[in-house]
This record gives sequence, structure tokens and C-alpha cells, in this order.
Amino acid sequence: MSTDQTTSMRRKPRLGAVLWLAFLIFAFAFPYLVDRPKFWIPNIGIKSIWLGVVAMSLVFLNRYVGLLSLAQMTIAGISAYGAGFVIVKMDGPIMMAIPIGLLVGTLAGFLIALVAVRTKAIYFLMITLAIGQVVYSFASQSIEVTNARRGLAPIKREDVGFMHFTELHIFYYVALIVAIGCYVLCRYIAATSFGLALQGIKDSPERMSALGYNVNRYRIAAMTFSSFIASVGGIIMVFDRAQVDPDVVALPATLDILIVAVVGGIGSLSGVFFGALVLTLLDNFSQNLTERYMTLTGLVFIAVLLFAPAGLAGIGKQLSALFARLKGPTIQDAAEADPPQTSPAATAEDAQETQDELSKGSQR
Amino acid sequence: MKLNKGKNRIAALAMGFSLALVATGCAPAGSGEAAPGSSSAGAASSDTIKIGVLSTSEGNLAFGMDEAKAAIGVAMEARGGTVEGGTIAGKKVELIYEGTDGTSASAQTKAKKLVENEGVDIVFGPASGDEGETVVQYALTEPDVTFVNGAASPVGMTLQNAENFFRFMGDSAMWMGGLGDHAFKEKGYKKVYSIAEDYSFPYDNAGGFFSEFCAAGGEVTGNSWVPVGTTDYATIISKIPADTDAVYVGLGGADAASFLSQAVTAGVEKPLIGGSITVDTTALSGDANISDAAVGTITGGPVPGADYDNPVWKTFSEAYAKQPKAFPSPSIFGILYYNAFESLLLGIEETKGELGEKHADLRASLSNLKWDTPTGPISMDKNRQAIVDNFLIEVVDDSSGELTQKNLSKSSNVTQGTTVYDRFDGCPN
Repeated sequence: MSTDQTTSMRRKPRLGAVLWLAFLIFAFAFPYLVDRPKFWIPNIGIKSIWLGVVAMSLVFLNRYVGLLSLAQMTIAGISAYGAGFVIVKMDGPIMMAIPIGLLVGTLAGFLIALVAVRTKAIYFLMITLAIGQVVYSFASQSIEVTNARRGLAPIKREDVGFMHFTELHIFYYVALIVAIGCYVLCRYIAATSFGLALQGIKDSPERMSALGYNVNRYRIAAMTFSSFIASVGGIIMVFDRAQVDPDVVALPATLDILIVAVVGGIGSLSGVFFGALVLTLLDNFSQNLTERYMTLTGLVFIAVLLFAPAGLAGIGKQLSALFARLKGPTIQDAAEADPPQTSPAATAEDAQETQDELSKGSQR
Repeated sequence: MKLNKGKNRIAALAMGFSLALVATGCAPAGSGEAAPGSSSAGAASSDTIKIGVLSTSEGNLAFGMDEAKAAIGVAMEARGGTVEGGTIAGKKVELIYEGTDGTSASAQTKAKKLVENEGVDIVFGPASGDEGETVVQYALTEPDVTFVNGAASPVGMTLQNAENFFRFMGDSAMWMGGLGDHAFKEKGYKKVYSIAEDYSFPYDNAGGFFSEFCAAGGEVTGNSWVPVGTTDYATIISKIPADTDAVYVGLGGADAASFLSQAVTAGVEKPLIGGSITVDTTALSGDANISDAAVGTITGGPVPGADYDNPVWKTFSEAYAKQPKAFPSPSIFGILYYNAFESLLLGIEETKGELGEKHADLRASLSNLKWDTPTGPISMDKNRQAIVDNFLIEVVDDSSGELTQKNLSKSSNVTQGTTVYDRFDGCPN
């Protein structure tokens, strides 16, 4: 029996890796699979990438630090404004705009963290939302910096050296590779001793504090890192949209990120891209089904919350659990019927961690 | 074990990452564009003309799509067609609708979808100002597609040199055309205080009024720019100087309703001058007791008052009333969408359905178009911006005690200025 268990543990990660690889191959082949690339690459492909990257920064904070921040889109917007300001107001080159945008976004995230990390749970959520609204009001009214409602335009892509950013597919591939880089960076940071300390803080801040860790400083550092990731998303967005206006930091944009994260799976760093894909497809095609396309998006969101609380990334796990239950009780299932943390699959799949986090989040 | 697995994954990903980078570098330039994109250029000689319609179907302007369909219904039914399409000048016309939520991001996504995925020849819309500015930027990148504005009114839209963009309506500064002179000369207001919302539409709208008012010799005693959504106007009302003759109110929707009811309770004795959306029919039909403040308010805009008498208008409003989901009288969106869509159809009829190489024939006919719209004659200037008539209106109490709009006069041949207004203090520059 123990041999069977070991085999199943070995098989599962492999299956996950195969699916992962298939998605990656699909992402790379995407521009050549679609019939109208000038529509599909920007409206579905690149938009899914930047939505996913910004949502990934939210998931990183939630999964490893236990903080649910509603300021991630605001930070992405600030980095987009930073880059837009350099290009439109200062007439600067794209290679200066990108690092300045990233710096401004990350710095803004650091400043927001200084204020926000002193609060917990619902108060943290509220303060990040409030800061987002302050930034929105500023962006809507400051003619000198953000050009108020009109926003900053046009922010065109330029060719840089051998990188032909003006070519849509080159821009897509660069965005895709940058997104994969962000994912790897998040996983790497989580695996360092810093990341482990963060997870310790998430599980028991009091205990970590007693061990001598400065909990707030760790949280500030984590938020600053996630702000950098969000800023990367903001930079991809600004060159995708060719303009930046207050709508990018408005409440609906913030909620889009939350929807992407929840639909993809709020505990899964890669699942956000599934969530982003679902949102962009709904955004573009739901009107073929109904005039009230926002209502449809809302219904999909509710359906995911009800039937797949771990998001799309957790559906595979849910299905295999369902099949196992249909097959009839086995010793392995009996073990799964115990507290879920003891299930062998729980150590193998990210999705199960999501379930735990969701339940912890609701306890908090 | 978990950490090791993580490291392996990272190593694998890093390898994939480097491979991908190499693959990207090797990809042939331009190959992504090789597949068929927009069919618009080729459609010039086809038998079907595809028109993509953009209007608002979500958000606080959600009625925009119903009004757009009512307007298109009137124009198409007069030619034996329907809102879905018909035959114009021997060509099959197909209409494809895309609803937005009134934000620029939504307009950008939907316009791109219409052009690139649906392959439309003409984009007709959008409804709101923020969307309009975005669609013009997009029009600049799609020279083979013709864009006809729906109801978006920012001044700058037709000053961007987009040769494929046409606007058959006045901009929001032109909507105030004639009102500044009227306030100064007829009403005798010499000093005016300004309260307006702090975004682009009121900048242009107030800019249009004050540039004319100041040129006539008027003075501005102060400007208050308030955020959209302001509900408490007590402090602003108390700031109005005593020697002010009238107050300009550039507020819309719920903000206008709040201001008018507070003006009644605070006892504002000064007469009011309204922005184009301050005292429209929706604001006047509310329950609040605003008549003391609202009666006597003068305003300007593209929508005529209730007593407007014109045969073309009569025909239009009767046909409009038969449309599904029509309001009791056409809204600003209904009127502007109708004028623009009828202009487009007249343009297509003029060229006998041939759009020409890169739409040259259609664009020439649209540029030279002259016709009598329900709201007066229309012609085009060199920026493909309409020269229009504008209505000056006063709010009156009708015999039954209801508030309604009465026509004061009509300014003819209002042309566009070249100033895009920003927030200003005193008179606009």
C-alpha cells in the first residue's frame, strides 16, 4: 500500500508539470494559433498577461504574508503614470520611462506599506482601498502631473536596439517572458529564508515576534516586493493601452484584479493567468450572449466562489477528489476524510494550500 | 522535500525562460502581422458595408445604447431597413453593436474588437467624452477605417488631425455658443461667479461660456471647481460675493440636483446660468423642490426646448416615439446619434454605396455634407467638425406647475474654436 501511495505522489506533480508545460506552450504558440492576431494579441493575450501579473502580486501577499491588499492596481497605475509622465510630459525615451515607472510604483508601494502594515485583516483591506481612492482623486484632478481626466497620451511603443517593440508579437513575447520571470521571482523569494519567515509571520505573527522577528518590517519588505511585481504589470499595461487615465486606478479596475485573483485561485501564483484569461474573454465576448455583460461576469464570479472556492487552479484537485469519492472509499480516501492538512495530496498540490488559506482567511 | 522540489521547478523554469528568450530573438520580424488583420481596406469594393456601433450599455450612462438603437432605428426604417441593417444605395448595410461602460478602457477594447475582429468598415460612436478622446487616438492608428462620432463632446477630438474622424455635432464649448453674449447683453449680468465640476467636460463647457462672456466685457468674481459627487454646497454658496449678478452652475446629474435644492434652502437670490446638462429634463423632473432656484435659469445646448416647432423635428420625434424603449422625448444621446447616423447614411447614398479607395469617396462626401437636421442646418469645417445651430433655453414654470424648458433663441452657424480648455481662474485664457 505504501508503494501505491508513493507512486501516486510521484505521478501527481508530473501531471501538474505536464499541464503547466501545455499552458506554457499554448501561451508561446498563441499569436500563431489565432486568426486575427491584431485583435487577439492585444485584447486577449497582452491584457491577460498584465492583469495576471498585477493579480499575482496580490496573490503573493495573500498566500505568503496573509495580507489581502486592494492597492495593487493603484500601484500598477502609479507606475504606469510614472512611465507616461516621462514619455508625454518630459518627452523622454522609453528606456528611461520603464525604470522610472518601476521605481515610482515600487516606492509608492513602500510608502503605502509604511501606513498600511500597522493594521490587520479587514482594516488592512479598508486602508489599502482608501489609499487607492485617494490616488484616484488625485489622478482625476491634478492637471500638472496626471493631466486630470484626459490622462496622458499617446504613450507609443518604440523599437529599442534589436527589440522591435512596435511589432505586436514581439511586445507580446516580451510581456510573456517578463510575466514568467515575475512568477519565478515570486517562487524564488518564497523559498528563501526571507520567504519562510514571511510564511511564519502569516501563520503566527505573535510567535515570530517572540522569536525576535520584526514583523512589521518583514511585512513592509514583502509589500514593497509585491509592489515591484505590480509595477511590472503597470508598465506592460501602459504600453498595451498607449495611454493612462484615472480609470486605471478607479474602483472597477481594482475589483477586476480581485476577480482575476479569486477566479484563478487566490492561493495560486500561476492560476491568476487562467483567471485573467476568463475575464478578458468575458469582457470581449459575453456581449454576444447578453447585453448585460457585467452581470454575466458577476454570475461567473459567484459560480466560482460557490463551486470552486480554490478557483480554476483548484478545479483539478476538486475533480480528482470527486472521482475518488465516486470510486468508493479506500484507505487513502479514509485518510483524506481526516483533517485536510494530513492528506498526501495536500503536500503535492498548490490548490490544497489555497483551501487552507481561504479557511484561515475567513477565520481571521 | 518541498524546498528541493521548489528549486527543481525554478531551475526548470529558468531553462525554459532562457530558451524562450532565444526563441523570441529569433522570431522573424513582422511574422505576427502575417495573418489577416482588418478586412476594411479590402471591403471597399465588396457588396456589404459593415458599421460597428459603440454606445454605453453599462454604468451611469447605460441608456446610451437604447438611445443609439432608437436613433439608428429611425434612420434605417425611413429607408426600409431595421436596427440590424438594410439596403442603402444598393449595398447591404450590416450593423454590429458593442456596449461599453463609459470608461476609456472599455471603449478602447470594444473599438479594437469591432475593427480587428468584426472587420467593420465604419466605427460609429462613442457616447461619452472620455471614450471619445480614446477613440480618436485609436482612429489615428487605423487610417483605413472611417470613424463617425456618436455623442462625445470634448473640444480636442477634432483638433488631432485624424483625417478619418468626423463629428456631426457641436463640441461642449460650442454648446454654450451665444449664451455668454445673451447673459451680458440681454440679461445684463456684468459679474458672474462660477461653480463647476472638476473634469474635462465642465472645463470645455464653462470655457465656452466664459470666453464669450469675458469678451463681451463681463467679469468673473470667482471660480469653485468641485469634485464630482460633491453633495454639500453650503461652504461654496457662502463664498459667493455680494456684488455678483449671477452664478454659473456647471454641475450635472445628482450634483446639480443637490446644488439646486440647497440653493433653495440657503436662499440664493442670484439668478443662475446652467451648464448644458445642469437643468436638463431629468434634473427638472426630480421630486426635490427646486423651482425657486431653477426657474429663470438660462442655458445652452444641442437639445431644443419643449416648445420647439420645426417640421423636420416633428417628423423625427414622431418616428422616435415609435421605437422600442424610447423616452417620452428624445434625450441628448438620441438626438446626437440620429444627426450623426443620418449624416453617415446620406454620405453613403451620395457616393452610391461606393466607399472608394481607402474610403476616399465616402470621406469626401461626408466632408462636403450639408443638410437640415431636426435641430437645424449642419455643414462641415476643414477639421471634419460640424458647424451647427445651438439652442438658448430658459427654465419656466408651465401652467400646471411643472418645470419645463422654453426656447429663448437659436444661435446659427456656431463654429468651433481652437482652444481646449483646462481648469481656469477668472476668465479662461
